[in-house]
Amino acid sequence: MSFDVLVFLIQQMMFFSIPLLIVALGGMFSERSGVVNIALEGIMIVGAFIGVLFIFFVQGAGIRINGQLLLLLTLLVAAGAGILIALPHAYASVHMKANQVISGTAINMFAPAFAIYVARMIRSVQQIPFTNQFYIESVPILGNIPIIGQFFFQRTYILTYFGFLILIVSWILLYKTPFGLRLRACGEHPQAADSLGINVFKMRYIGVMISGALAGIGGVVFVIPTSITFDATVAGYGFLALAVLIFGQWKPGRILFAAFFFGLMKTVSVAYSSIPFLNNLNISGSVYKMIPFIATLVVLAFSSRKSMAPKAVGVPYDKGSR
Amino acid sequence: MKKFFALLLTLAMAFTLVACGAEEFELALITDYGTIDDGSFNQGSWEGLEKYAKENKISHKYYQPADEADDAYLNAIDLAVQGGAKVIVTPGFLFEVPIFVAQDRYPDVKFVLLDGSPNNGDWDNFEGRVGDNVVSIFYAEDQSGFLAGYAAVMDGYRNLGYMGGMAVPPVVRFGHGFVQGAEYAAQELGLPEDSININYFYTGTFSPAPEIQTRAAAWYNDGVEVIFVAGGGIFFSVVPAAENAGQFVIGVDTDQSGLSDTVITSALKLLTQSVYDSVESFYNGTFAGGQTRIYSASNMGVGLPMATSKFNTFSQADYDVIFEKIVSGAVVVNNNTEMAPTDIPTSAVVVNDQN
Repeated sequence: MSFDVLVFLIQQMMFFSIPLLIVALGGMFSERSGVVNIALEGIMIVGAFIGVLFIFFVQGAGIRINGQLLLLLTLLVAAGAGILIALPHAYASVHMKANQVISGTAINMFAPAFAIYVARMIRSVQQIPFTNQFYIESVPILGNIPIIGQFFFQRTYILTYFGFLILIVSWILLYKTPFGLRLRACGEHPQAADSLGINVFKMRYIGVMISGALAGIGGVVFVIPTSITFDATVAGYGFLALAVLIFGQWKPGRILFAAFFFGLMKTVSVAYSSIPFLNNLNISGSVYKMIPFIATLVVLAFSSRKSMAPKAVGVPYDKGSR
Repeated sequence: MKKFFALLLTLAMAFTLVACGAEEFELALITDYGTIDDGSFNQGSWEGLEKYAKENKISHKYYQPADEADDAYLNAIDLAVQGGAKVIVTPGFLFEVPIFVAQDRYPDVKFVLLDGSPNNGDWDNFEGRVGDNVVSIFYAEDQSGFLAGYAAVMDGYRNLGYMGGMAVPPVVRFGHGFVQGAEYAAQELGLPEDSININYFYTGTFSPAPEIQTRAAAWYNDGVEVIFVAGGGIFFSVVPAAENAGQFVIGVDTDQSGLSDTVITSALKLLTQSVYDSVESFYNGTFAGGQTRIYSASNMGVGLPMATSKFNTFSQADYDVIFEKIVSGAVVVNNNTEMAPTDIPTSAVVVNDQN
C-alpha cells in the first residue's frame, strides 16, 4: 500500500473518529457519575444546530474574523447549547429520580424538531448553510515534518487537535484529580460517596453538564468537515458514540481506540477503491458496506464478557436505600 | 364530577380538531423522500405549485408523510383531501402504488404524478392504469444526463464519477444517459479505447451522510475530476469533498450553481414548469386526465443551464448543436433501466461499477 493512500485513509478516518471520540467522552462523564445518557444524539443535533447557526449569522453579517478563531468560538457556543439542553435531562434523572432512558429519548425526539422549526422560522428552509473557511491545507512548520506532518498536520481541521486535547484533559480530570475520584465514586457506590460528604446530586449534575458540553461540541465537529449545510441530522452518530463508549469500557484510552477502530472501519468500507490491494480483489461493494458491522460484532463478542459499566449507572440516587 | 371534566375536555379537543379542519387548501403537494427544501426534486415541484398559487391567490399547502411507506403516503393523501385539496401533486416514482389506490378512492380529486405511472406494484400480476383524474408526467432524464456527460468530456474531463441516490428509474436514467453522453463525446473527439473512466455508484439514500463525503473524497483522491451527483441531499455531502480536493461537481434536477462554486453545470429537468403547467391546466379546464406526458428535449423539458455553467471550452453553440441532434432524433439515448451500467455498449468509456 502506497504511503499516500495511508495518509489519505488516516485523514479521512479523523472525520469519523474525532466526533465519535468527543461525544463518547461526553457520555463517559455522564455515565461515570451514574446517569445514563442516551440523549447524546439529540444533544449533538442541538449543539451542531446552534453552532452552525452562529457561523451562519457571523458570516452573514459580513464580520471578517479568522476562520480558526470563529471555529473555536463556535465550539464554545455549541458547548453552551449542549449544556442547556442536557440540563432538563439532569433535572429529570437526578432531582426527579425519573427513568433516565425516557428523558434521554425525549431529548432525542425534541432536538431535530426544534432544529427544523427554528431554522424555518429564520430561513424558511430547514438547511442552515455555512462557508467552510476552516480547512487547513497544511499547518505552518508542523506540516513540513516528513511523515508525521503528512499524517497529522496536512489537509486537516483544528478540530482534530481539539479532540485530542479533550481526551488528555478528560483523562487527567478523571484519574488525577479529587473531582474525578468523587465523580467515579458517585457512579459506583453513591451511598458510600455520600457518607463521606460528597454531594451526589451535585456531582451527577456536573457529569451530565460535561456530557452536554462535549456532545454539543461533537455535533459541530461532526458537521463541519463533511457537509456545507446543517440539515437537522447527525446521521445516528450519537448512538454510534454510545456504542463506542460501551466498546471503550467507559475508559478514555479505550474509547480512543474504539473511536479509531470504528472510524477506520467506516473509512475502509467506503474508500476501498483507493486501497490498491482491496480494489484489485474485485469484491462486490456490498461486502465492504458490511465491514463495520461485522467487525463490530466480532470485537464485541470477544470483549463484552468483562463489561465494566459503572455499577450505579441508571439508578437514581436515593438517600434512604442502602 | 371528574367524569364531567373528562367529558368536557374530550369535547374541547374534538372541537379544536374540527376547527383545524375548517381551513382549506385547494392545492396540495405530498413530499417524497427528503424534505420540501431538498434543493432539488421536492423543492422544484413545490416552487411550481407555489408560483401558480401565489399568482392566482389560491390556498396551498404541502404535507410530509410520517414515514417512507405506501401506507404513510396514502395517509398523507387522505389528509390532503380532508384538507380540501382539489389538485394533489405527488413528486416521485414511489407514489405509483399510493396513487393507484387514491385515484379510485377520490375520483373528484385531480392528481399530478411526477416520475411515475399508477400501478399496483405487483410485478407478477401487474396492473397499471392512469385514471381519468390523473396526469402522469415523465422526464427524459437520460437526455439530461447525456448532455451532462457529453459536455463534461467535450470540456476536457476524462476521469468522471456518477453518484446517484436510490436506484429508482429516474436516477438510473440520469446515470445511463451520463455514460452514453461521455461515450458519444469521446467518439466525436476520436479518443482511444478505455481513455475515459466513470466511477458509478448508488448511495441508497437521498440524505446527506459522512460516508458519502468519504467516498467522494476517495474518488477525487483516485483522480476523478468531476462527479455527477443525482440525488437531493447527497449533493451536500459530495460538495465538501470537491471543495477540499479542488475538483468539481455536476448538479441535478434544478440549477444548483448557487449552492457551491464547485458546480460546473446541472442536469436539469424542468419540474417547476411542468407542475405549473399541470396546475394551470386544471384551472383553465384543460386538465389532461388519463394521459401520460413526457418532458424531453423536444419540448424543452430537460437541458443544461448554460448561462450559469462554468465550462472551459464547451460553448453555447456546442450545446445547441448536440441539443438539436437529440431533438431531431439524430442521437437516440437508450433509456432502458433494466440493464446494468456496465452493460451499456461503450468502447472509449470504462464504467467502474462500485455497487
